[in-house]
Formats: sequence, structure tokens, C-alpha cells
Amino acid sequence: MTLISLKDIYKIYNVGGEEVRALDGINLEIKENEYLAIMGPSGSGKSTLMNMIGCLDTPTSGVYEFEGEMVQVMDDAQLASIRNRKIGFVFQTFNLLPKATAQHNVEIPLVYANIRKAQRIQLASDALDSVGLEDRMHHKPNELSGGQRQRVAIARALVNNPSIILADEPTGNLDSKSGHEIMDIFNLLHKKGNTIILVTHEDYIAKQAHRTIRLFDGKVTEDAKRDS
Amino acid sequence: MFSLFIENFRISLSAVLANKTRSILTALGIIIGVLSVTLMGTLISGLDRSFESSMSWLGKDILYISRYEWFSDMEWWEIKNRPRLLPEYVDKIKERSEYALAVAPVMQRGASLSYKEKETRTEIFGTNEDYMETINTDIVQGRFFTSNEDRSGSRVTVIGHGIKEAFFGEKDPIGQYIQIDNIKFRVIGVLEKQGKFLGLFSVDKQAILPLGAYKRLFSRRGWMRLSVKIPEQKIEEGMDELSAVMRHIRGLKPSEKNDFAINQTKAFEKQYNTLKVAIGGTGVFITLLSLIVGGIGIMNIMFVSVKERTREIGVRKAIGATKGMIMGQFLMEAVTICLIAGLIGLFFAYISSIFINKIFPSTLPIGLSISAVIMSMVVGVISGFIPSYQAANLDPIDSLRYE
Repeated sequence: MTLISLKDIYKIYNVGGEEVRALDGINLEIKENEYLAIMGPSGSGKSTLMNMIGCLDTPTSGVYEFEGEMVQVMDDAQLASIRNRKIGFVFQTFNLLPKATAQHNVEIPLVYANIRKAQRIQLASDALDSVGLEDRMHHKPNELSGGQRQRVAIARALVNNPSIILADEPTGNLDSKSGHEIMDIFNLLHKKGNTIILVTHEDYIAKQAHRTIRLFDGKVTEDAKRDS
Repeated sequence: MFSLFIENFRISLSAVLANKTRSILTALGIIIGVLSVTLMGTLISGLDRSFESSMSWLGKDILYISRYEWFSDMEWWEIKNRPRLLPEYVDKIKERSEYALAVAPVMQRGASLSYKEKETRTEIFGTNEDYMETINTDIVQGRFFTSNEDRSGSRVTVIGHGIKEAFFGEKDPIGQYIQIDNIKFRVIGVLEKQGKFLGLFSVDKQAILPLGAYKRLFSRRGWMRLSVKIPEQKIEEGMDELSAVMRHIRGLKPSEKNDFAINQTKAFEKQYNTLKVAIGGTGVFITLLSLIVGGIGIMNIMFVSVKERTREIGVRKAIGATKGMIMGQFLMEAVTICLIAGLIGLFFAYISSIFINKIFPSTLPIGLSISAVIMSMVVGVISGFIPSYQAANLDPIDSLRYE
């Protein structure tokens, strides 16, 4: 089943009177349970593409369909609902709320999904369980290591059982051991049936994925599949 | 939506608690606003109460004849040039007036009272046997003096409750002799306990003597006023009649103006209402001013809070918060600061009202307290609106990149 379909997507910025094409005619389809890596040098447009897929940004022109529905005609509430229920974000800098415990951080998407407290606690601890942090639930981010923080972030991305996990340089701020642990989690999630999209510039990370897309100057220059 | 509300409240509380000093400084305007409006209410409630009891002590059915109008701005020499009121008016008024139920002449001065080694300064009053009908006070012990005692210049006195307590404590004062400016008087009665008049002076510290003795011993030519009791429904008529009687006594021609004044407690009421408006107006002005200043402070700190948490806003949007939810979160924060400020203000107002109550009886009005807190929350909504709107409309991508 096709989850994401991008047709002739352009994103054009006007910077100081000069036209900058961050995305320059992207065509891309992503199916369920794909494991995709987006690569490219900085400025190639991979972050813009990532934000576009994540419904944080809208294209200047082109058609974006998410699970068959046109994204560019949606209003704020519909976009927020897709981000909440269908997409799980994992950021390079973790982006956890510093004053909240791991448990509470993971609960936040459920609050926005209007799920009741008792169920929130159950779902959040299940998610933390699945990333191996069942004994760190009541720690605050500053009491956790970098790898543990990123695992909390992954639990937060997972907790609403989304269609896609979008990870932007998830190992960029981690040492290689923690990085490997994080990649093991992604691999496991993929085996469980999740669709995973990683943005990275490190080859060894990209090699974990089954499909690699290279971007350059806002265009797809390579779309390679690898059998697993 | 309820869980979101709880969550927002939790976020707000932790944001306020994380910046305690900042929050309290910000909220100072609101605290002062709530404090001033509630204290003003307390003050007015206390004034109302003491005014009412003081007015009932004066009596609404009493007219007071004297040389000057109460609360008038007449020149002192003009008053001084008016003829004095004389004790013989009492009988003349009784003779000619239909409405006058009782007429009491009252002369007053300061004097020193003593009993054994105890001594106190107080006001003494010289009057006649009608006096008790012109005040709303009863005799609790003994009796009032008679017209015979007045005429014969007997040295007897009725003392206020405060004097009795100070001099005699629990002992029976009736038949005891006290000294008024070193002249012996026999105590024949004690007045009921009254409290303070308008919260200013105690009417319990007084001694009442027959006018005969008073005039002979203390003041032959002092100022005198007349208290005239009139049926309560006939005040206006009584006033007109009394004026005519007085003009007749004075032998005034129709072209001449009155050279006396007839006062009634309404004059107090009018004066009092002016005072109340002045206190209320000042209070409202201070309150509005501090709420505006407070509101600007809250707005300012909310802009700072939005700026500081730009990244958090980006994250929240990425994981599914709508604009409305972000707006709600920051509005809630502004309202929470204001609510806490309102409650702090109310707390101080309550403490202050306890002390005010010791000076004169008053209570913190509950309705006003609740409205003051609601008002401060409204200030929170108003001043939090623009910063929250700004937060809600931040671009999620830019906010996520914000360092």
C-alpha cells in the first residue's frame, strides 16, 4: 500500500530577490513498511523534504498525498492531527521537554490526541518498555544519557502507533555505541512492520536502510533499492 | 479536552514555579490592584456599618437646632454674629409646636473626671430631663435625673458605660460620688454601652448633668444646641413648623433671613455619600491603574516566555498540537500568573482586614473578593492574548531550528 506519494513537488523560497529552489520537481512514492534513507550534502534539500513529508511544511506547487489524501488542502487542525496520529518525529537534538519526566514526555502526543490519563500512563509505559527504558520512566532528560534521551524521543514518536517514523539525523549527536543501539531499535521497529524514513549523511547508517535516496540541489539524483 | 486543560494548567504551574521571582515581580501590579479594590470594599463596608450604628444613635427623628448648618461653608464670624440659643426656648418651643415630642437643650465642654485616685478627661453634657428621648440609648443602671433635680441645680450625674468601667469596674456606682473639675457629683445612672461614633470618638466616655447645675458650675454663656424629637413620618412638616416657631421667638421680619439653623441626620448621610464616592472613586482609580500596569507586565513576560520556549512550541506542533492548543497553553499561563497574583492580593487583603477590623468593625466583602479574582483572570486573558496568538502562529520549522 502506498503511504506517501509526492508528484512534481517544488518548494521555492525568495531570498533577497533571488529564487532558491529547495525542492526542484520531486517525484517519490513510499510504501508501507519501507525502510528509507534520505542522503545528501547540506543544502541539498533533504531537511525540506523531511519537513514536507512530516506535514510541517507545504509545497509551493505539486501534489502531496498522505494515505491517499491531499495534504496541501488541509487546515491546521487536520495537519496537526496527521502529525499527531500518523507521524512520529525523532530529532537529532532529541527535543524533549527538559522539566518533564520521560514518562510525561512520552505522554504529550497522547494528551493532544485527547486520550484519558489512565490509558496514557499505560501506553506511555508500554512505549518506554519497548525501547528498554522501563526503569528510567521517572527520570528527567538531564538525568539520562544521550542515548537514553534519544530512546525516550523514539518512545514518544511510537506511542500513538503512527504509520511512519521520521528521523532526522537520529544518531548525529550520539557516540557510536549509543548510535548503534538506536539503529538496532530502528531495525527492530522495521521488522515489526513500521515504516521508517531516516535523514542522514553517514553511509553506515544509510546502509541499514533498504532504500536510499540521494538529493542534490533539490533533485533526486539516485533512488537505489537493496534487497534485505 | 479536559485532559488538555489539566495538562495546560500543569505546564502553567511549572512555568510559574520555575521562575518564581520573575512571576511575582510581574504579578505585582495585579497583586496591588486586587489588594486596593478589596481593601477599599472593606473600608466602605466598615464605614457603612459604623455610619449606620452612629446614625441610629443620633436618631432619624431628631432635629438639631443650632447657630450653624452642619457641613456648610459659612464664615466663622457670620456664625459668631448670630444670636445664641437660650434655655428659655425649650419652653417656648414646647408651647408653640405641635410636632415637638421632646425638646432637650444641650451644652457641652471638656472636663476632668475623677474618682478616688482615678482620673480621666472627657466630655460633659448639660441637658434636661427630655434628653433621653432624643438619643437612642437606654439607662442600664439607676435612673435619669428629673425636672426637679434640673431646676434645683442638683449635683447628680448619669455616666457613660466607659466611665463606669474605668472608675468602678464591677462595683455598683449608683450613689457613689465622683468629681467633675473638682466638684462632687452623685452618680444616679449608667448609660448602655454604645461603641464609637463614626469610629472616631467613644460616646461611652461621657457624663450627663442637669443643665441647671451645668450652667451654674461650668458655663454660664457656653454654646447651646437644642435636640427636638419629631414623629418620624412628620420630619418635613416638623422642620417647617420649627423654623416658623424659631422665627417667631427671634422676632424676625419676613424679609430677614434665618439667624439659626435646623439640622437633621440627612445632612450626615449626604456628606457620607460624598465621602463614599470619593473613597470608592480613588480605590477604583488605583485599581484600574495597577491592573493596566500589571497587565502590561504580564504581556511583557509572556512575550519573553514565548521567546524562551520557541523550540518547545516547535516540538509540540511537530507532535500534534494545533494552533488552538498552543494558544490555550500560553493563555492559561497568563491566567495562572494572574490567578495566583489575585489570590496573593486577596490573602494580604484578608490579613489587612483583620487589622482594620480591630480599628473599626468591618468585613472583607466576599462578592467583591470573588469579582476581584475574576477580574484579575480577565486581565490575564487580555494581556496574554497577543503573546499567545504569536506563539500559536509560529512556524513549526523555524521554531524547531530556534536556538
